[in-house]
Amino acid sequence: MRKQLGLVPTIALLATLAGASASLGQEPIVVVGWGGNWDKAYKEGVWDVYTAETGIPIVIEEWAGELAKVRAQVQSGNITWDLVSPEAPSVEIGCAEGLFVPLTPEITGPPESYIPGTIHECGVASDTWATILAYDADAIEGEGPKSWADFWDVEKFPGKRGMLAQAQYTLENAVMAMGVPADKVYEELRKPGGIDRAFAKLDEIKPHVVWWTSSTQGMQNLDSGEVVMTDAYNARVTNDIVNEGKNYVIAWDAGFLFGTDMWAVVKGAPHEAEALELLKWFSVPENQAGFSKLYAYGTGRVEAADFVDPEWQKHLPTSPQHAQFGATYDTDFWVENKEALEQRFQTWLAQ
Amino acid sequence: MAGAIGGVSDSSGALPRKGAVSRSGRNRIALVLLVVPLVAFILLLFVWPVLRFLALAVDNSDVAENLPRTAAAISSWDAQAGELPDDAVFRALVDDLADARAAGRDGVLAQLINQREVGTRFLVIRTAQAAAAGELAAEPARATLLAAFPGWDNPRLWRVLARDSSPLTANYLLASLDLTRTPEGAVVPVPADQAIFVSLLLRTVWISLVVTGICAVLALPLAQAIVSAPKSWSRVMFALVLFPLWTSLLVRTVIWIIMLQKNGPVNAALVAFGLAPEPLSLIYTRFSLYVTMVQVLLPLMVLSIVSVMRRISPNYMKAALSLGAPWLVAWVRVQLPLILPGVLAGSAIVFVFALGYYITPELVGGPGERMISSYIAFFTNETLNWGMGAALSLQLIGILVGAAIAFRLAAILFRRRPA
Repeated sequence: MRKQLGLVPTIALLATLAGASASLGQEPIVVVGWGGNWDKAYKEGVWDVYTAETGIPIVIEEWAGELAKVRAQVQSGNITWDLVSPEAPSVEIGCAEGLFVPLTPEITGPPESYIPGTIHECGVASDTWATILAYDADAIEGEGPKSWADFWDVEKFPGKRGMLAQAQYTLENAVMAMGVPADKVYEELRKPGGIDRAFAKLDEIKPHVVWWTSSTQGMQNLDSGEVVMTDAYNARVTNDIVNEGKNYVIAWDAGFLFGTDMWAVVKGAPHEAEALELLKWFSVPENQAGFSKLYAYGTGRVEAADFVDPEWQKHLPTSPQHAQFGATYDTDFWVENKEALEQRFQTWLAQ
Repeated sequence: MAGAIGGVSDSSGALPRKGAVSRSGRNRIALVLLVVPLVAFILLLFVWPVLRFLALAVDNSDVAENLPRTAAAISSWDAQAGELPDDAVFRALVDDLADARAAGRDGVLAQLINQREVGTRFLVIRTAQAAAAGELAAEPARATLLAAFPGWDNPRLWRVLARDSSPLTANYLLASLDLTRTPEGAVVPVPADQAIFVSLLLRTVWISLVVTGICAVLALPLAQAIVSAPKSWSRVMFALVLFPLWTSLLVRTVIWIIMLQKNGPVNAALVAFGLAPEPLSLIYTRFSLYVTMVQVLLPLMVLSIVSVMRRISPNYMKAALSLGAPWLVAWVRVQLPLILPGVLAGSAIVFVFALGYYITPELVGGPGERMISSYIAFFTNETLNWGMGAALSLQLIGILVGAAIAFRLAAILFRRRPA
């Protein structure tokens, strides 16, 4: 027994040495993701596969999408990150500032093979997530809500609603509650008075809302019965359904918007060429599907869905049966209006 | 050394006195040396950074520093005329943006300008790119720039640049009091649907006062019980008061979310005993915020009252009782005035702590319970509008100063009354 226990550190040491010698010939590519299960899914489903195929090691770091950190590295000339995953609006800004390497179709594959909004001059989708309407089927008798108008209808569905306490996502939901389909939401918001109308619609539901700021809090409120329905990030709901056996339902047909995080190569990064090679490999549908198999977020290439188990596909926002109800977040709209609208939203919230 | 000097200057005095002086001089030096690290620590790591941050409330130099030539050239422009500035200003701007791009500062600059005039971020970035590439060199500068980037044909944007070309501004302080400046320079209240900070200020003070009051009322009998109880009991009760104090603030806060939620134990008990027909909405309300804050802060109040109470001889109460006063009257007229310094000290501590509460209102309150600190965090972390964050911090400090004066006055008043 004692001998066996002694073996464990020895094996661990050997494994470490083996790992070190493997990476001796090749410096690792530094990839920066969103942490937690997200990084874990990427490591197991994508990066480990690449390392196994090519022998090129990959090191994973974690961030929260702060473009200022990339800016600081580029400005100081001390760049340590090769491949990063910012949100689409940050890719747009960083690309204009020249922080990211522009990509060619040779690397990304044909742009028309991507779901609209998941490819950019400087990036391809690392994941597409959706903000959806979810409810606890155990807490609602009979038919559940089918639309955002139902979400607003407290007569038909009594009980509190959970909503994310920020302007982005919430304004879109309010517009959909007025009967506007997802793909017409920004057209409506850009009309004169469109934003005022969205806030007026929010006034109606305000007394019935329990606001959340972190995903965990939002799901906890649904779990504890504090709210009967909530807006949420789809993978969080799927996680609770699959891993905790909750009887939650995602009302995909109510309409949803999906956002995209994108892989972008930092300009002047120490392994810029290697990172571009990696991105080229990632752009093959089969390779990027490795992520969606493990995490309920989609990727960019339309054909990637073919490599995901049909049973699991029903959890993905990008799967054919759901995509018809969704539309992408309007990056331009939020890049320009984010600060002003978030401030107005906080004021509205406090009144 | 100082002791020796003291000894020399004191040569006329008697010997024992001389010894006393020199010892006290040496003590003073030792005292100063002992305090030096603390003072240095406070100055370097507390006062200096705090002042630096507060200065941001009136600091406006970030735009002007990045656009030095524009700031100089635009001062001669009449912002009220409704026309665009002349060629010289446009030329200055193109040169400044080219420099900013070369220094890698164009992204930050675009963010700063977009904060002030929404929708100009890409205009600034793309203009800076073109300027750095020498594409905007042709004269006249104004016609060249407007042809390439029509977005600059916007007098409002130029007025923002003109306004921010001075290094100091009162705009953040005005905004933190729900005031704004018209283009003519008059100070007026903001429209009612944008007014938030005055009510936020009043709400913060009100919540802190209510919490302080509840803590005082709850702590008085508890402290009396701890002091009057037999020694062993007193120790147990004291430990029970201290115990939560050693627990993490977050734990104590989150416990209340579990206790008060829809299917939590409190609601279950209410329904089981028929006190409520169905589970109530207890969490994310003002009620839950008061409950949590009082629970978290109560030990501080109890501690300060107990420390004062222990020093009061029980003979005063005994005397009052033996002279025929009912217990309650004796307590209110004899014991309470003696305890008041402890109540005041405890109130000061609880009030000051409550004022800065941030995570508890965020977790157990709704949006209507958010206090000033939440908004300071919002402005410094999320919108990166540090000027607003600093202006709101100044308000907090203002309340603190006001509270300090009020407590001092109250202490003086109460000290006089028994006399």
